Amino acid sequence: MYKGTLNTSKLYLGLQKQAQISAKKLKKRHPHAVTFFEKHGVVPGKIREHAARVATSVGLASAMLFGQPLTQQVLSTPAAKIATLKTDQLQGMLTNQLSTLLPKDITPLTHAQEDALANEIKTVWGIDARASLDGERLNRSYGLIGAEQHLPRFPGDTVDQHDAYQQSGITPGRGAWGYFANSRDQLTQDLIQKEKWYVAVQTLYLPDWNTRTKELSKWYKYRKVLVINPVNGKTVVADVADAGPAAFTGKHYGGSPEVMAYLGLNVHMQKGAVLLFFVNDPNGEIPLGPVEYNVTTGTPQIAKDI
Amino acid sequence: MSKIFYDHLIVIEEIVAVLDEHKLTPKDRKNILGLMDAALQHEILDAIFSYLPRERHEEFLQKFHAAPHDIGLMQYLKDNAPVNIELAILDRANKTKKKLLGEVKKHRKP
Repeated sequence: MYKGTLNTSKLYLGLQKQAQISAKKLKKRHPHAVTFFEKHGVVPGKIREHAARVATSVGLASAMLFGQPLTQQVLSTPAAKIATLKTDQLQGMLTNQLSTLLPKDITPLTHAQEDALANEIKTVWGIDARASLDGERLNRSYGLIGAEQHLPRFPGDTVDQHDAYQQSGITPGRGAWGYFANSRDQLTQDLIQKEKWYVAVQTLYLPDWNTRTKELSKWYKYRKVLVINPVNGKTVVADVADAGPAAFTGKHYGGSPEVMAYLGLNVHMQKGAVLLFFVNDPNGEIPLGPVEYNVTTGTPQIAKDI
Repeated sequence: MSKIFYDHLIVIEEIVAVLDEHKLTPKDRKNILGLMDAALQHEILDAIFSYLPRERHEEFLQKFHAAPHDIGLMQYLKDNAPVNIELAILDRANKTKKKLLGEVKKHRKP
């Protein structure tokens, strides 16, 4: 027995009315298009049924013409196709999609643009990344990232104890959340990765930062984000470990030496435009670092090459 | 559901997710989603024909009728529409979804 929480008959009537209004609008504004559909036995609102018929006939036709095995037909679905693509092909695919969705200038995105971008990211990398998560969002989801130095991971940490990009230096102060560990002995692999793949975001300019500081600090601490360079499609999963940069710099995010190097932004002015979305990863399944295959349908490059 | 070349911009799953929060019978769910999809298709088609120059309508209709799933159709629209057609479709889809979800909200039982 269904115990609905909706008044379905009234909802049905309401939706029917909306469908009728939109059908009338289409007919009034584009009568030739509606006439075309009607002439071909297609109802515009039921175009999906027509699509299903076409798909079936195309499927049958190709099966008859080429005797294509079922496994191969399955492989031609987008998800399976993505699983066979190499990292540079996936990055190229992402770059193409982003170029059509991003504004020409590095300006804030609309919610509609953010939704479409999240959709593309999900298709290419299989990662659920969004501009807004748990009701929280940064002031910018698309902006300029600049190079940062290493962060001290424990009291007494020095740049020569970091395994790469030592020439980037180390900040004199601690990151936004303090030291990663209380001592060198307590520094785990997980914390090493957190420093390696960190970003700084402008939490200090959030409109509710001063009223919800404690709550927001907790939420943002080591929050996973997906950072994408739209120029080359290079993508990295990073974590929030510092606050900044200051508004006067004209930049919106900061990236660790490793993040900037992977994105290809550690050259010239050491800055560039990136997309920065939160990763919805409640079970902590997505590792920090470069993203080079679709996490739901693909296999790591190394595994494919063996 | 069958794929249409602009489905990735509609993201109908957002509507399905809201609808599935309510305990609908399979029949009600199917009927309600059918009406929502109809409204969305009308609106998206209206957006496409509004931005595509009139002299391209016939050619587009022929192509669309032959292969509604063909992703090449988006490229055709991009090549011929004077605006960013993907954003225009996205915008219309979002506005329509908002309206449809508003309807669902309006008919929640107290």
